[in-house]
Amino acid sequence: MAEDTVITDPVTAAEDRLKTLTKVMTTKAPIAQTPKELVWTLNKSKLYRYIPVLPKEKRHPIPVLLVFALMNRPYILDLRRGHSFVEYMLNKGYDLYLLDWGAPGPEDKNLRFDDYTLDYMPRAIRKLKAISGVKEFSLLGWCIGAILTTIYAALRGDEGLRNLILLTAPLDFSNKQDLTFARWTDERYFDVDKVLATFGNMPGEMIDYGAKALKPVENYVGNYVKLWDNIDDPRMVEAWHAMNTWVTDNVPLAGGVFRQLIVDLYRDDKLMRGELVIRGERVEISRIHANLLTVIAESDHITPSCQSEPIMSKVSSADKELFRVKGGHIGIMAGSGASKHTWPHIDGWLAPRSR
Amino acid sequence: MAEDPTHDSKRVDPMEPWRGMRDIYMDAWGKTMVDMVNSEAYAQATGAMLDTYMTVSAPFREAVEKAMLKTLEQLAMPSKADVVSIAERMTNIEMRLDDLDAKLDNIQRLIVHAGTAPRPQAGNAPQPSKEKTTKAKQAKKGKR
Repeated sequence: MAEDTVITDPVTAAEDRLKTLTKVMTTKAPIAQTPKELVWTLNKSKLYRYIPVLPKEKRHPIPVLLVFALMNRPYILDLRRGHSFVEYMLNKGYDLYLLDWGAPGPEDKNLRFDDYTLDYMPRAIRKLKAISGVKEFSLLGWCIGAILTTIYAALRGDEGLRNLILLTAPLDFSNKQDLTFARWTDERYFDVDKVLATFGNMPGEMIDYGAKALKPVENYVGNYVKLWDNIDDPRMVEAWHAMNTWVTDNVPLAGGVFRQLIVDLYRDDKLMRGELVIRGERVEISRIHANLLTVIAESDHITPSCQSEPIMSKVSSADKELFRVKGGHIGIMAGSGASKHTWPHIDGWLAPRSR
Repeated sequence: MAEDPTHDSKRVDPMEPWRGMRDIYMDAWGKTMVDMVNSEAYAQATGAMLDTYMTVSAPFREAVEKAMLKTLEQLAMPSKADVVSIAERMTNIEMRLDDLDAKLDNIQRLIVHAGTAPRPQAGNAPQPSKEKTTKAKQAKKGKR
């Protein structure tokens, strides 16, 4: 408080603002602070188990595995103390695991959905089961992570998958008019083979550009204007700093996965048409029997609702729910309203299904 | 509270009308840009730019790669391809280790299960292995 009352001189105030601006633009915020232990690794992938905060008798017996996208860091789920989905779920008594895909190197340029869903995920899940001592588990997939979990659920769902939660899941690519990415990666304009021959893996900077260019003014100008307008609000600055740390920490996407994403999904919509073949096995959405919660962000410009909704009528799950929440692709889980809307709903849905 | 500078600045803020104007302008600008990036022309233009970059830079990249390869050979250092190959082999070894880990976990689980299972009474203890052996011997004799 003493510092607040001293700032009366406009020059001093402006100087302090510039200092704050420089700090948040040039440093990394303390993120992913929730204690966890590394329990399994394979190549760049790591499986973490968050240290439970409740005694065993108060915890849900069914563990939850969090699977985030391949081209962003998963600590968006544990962004900062006091505003972390992981922290929230631990306090609600869940046994939480996080699958961190890591950053693929040149040696991983041929990794495909096949490898991630039939090598990495089953092995990580086996380890999760061995540690937890249970046969069943829940899966939460977000963005590309939701594609991976959907494929896994269709191919290996009978291996103990009880609950499946899909957040902003890009699964249906039939509505090309509403998909800007589909337009940009149309085969008339975008030579995917040439791109991958040049770069090997899809560079994180290019993916970041693609995501930001969907709303260029908002991302390249508005974001910084918003920071400047709220530069005197420490809580706002802290939140912006943490989010900026995550947004600027991109990882490449393995070349094989990128090719499948563009050719098999964006162009040919093979997943929803039942034509996607993973290591010789056809992925049939109707083979998903797990309890399903699909979360749609109403203002999502990366994954419009038309991409996530159709799965509801294709799965064989007797217990399924579609939940719409106000917010954007990332905002619904990491924005200021997440702790009031999305997180409680996920907990409310998952808790009775985790007994 | 009278000393709170933020309170004072909110009460008399000469920039407020300017901010309102700015936000209206940015909203309009944002919508125009979203329409632009959603157009076929934008997709075509960015595709052409990327393609041009890749085509123009390809000879330079190839030249650098060849020069680097020769330099590394001269210095008796492993090339990128060598490192990639070793990394791939490491991943294969990791998978084998993971398979072993799975088997060890399974054995551990069985041992724990056997340790916690109730021990049968001495007189009632079933003898499945002997029966099987006897049956197997009989079967073998029968075959002969």
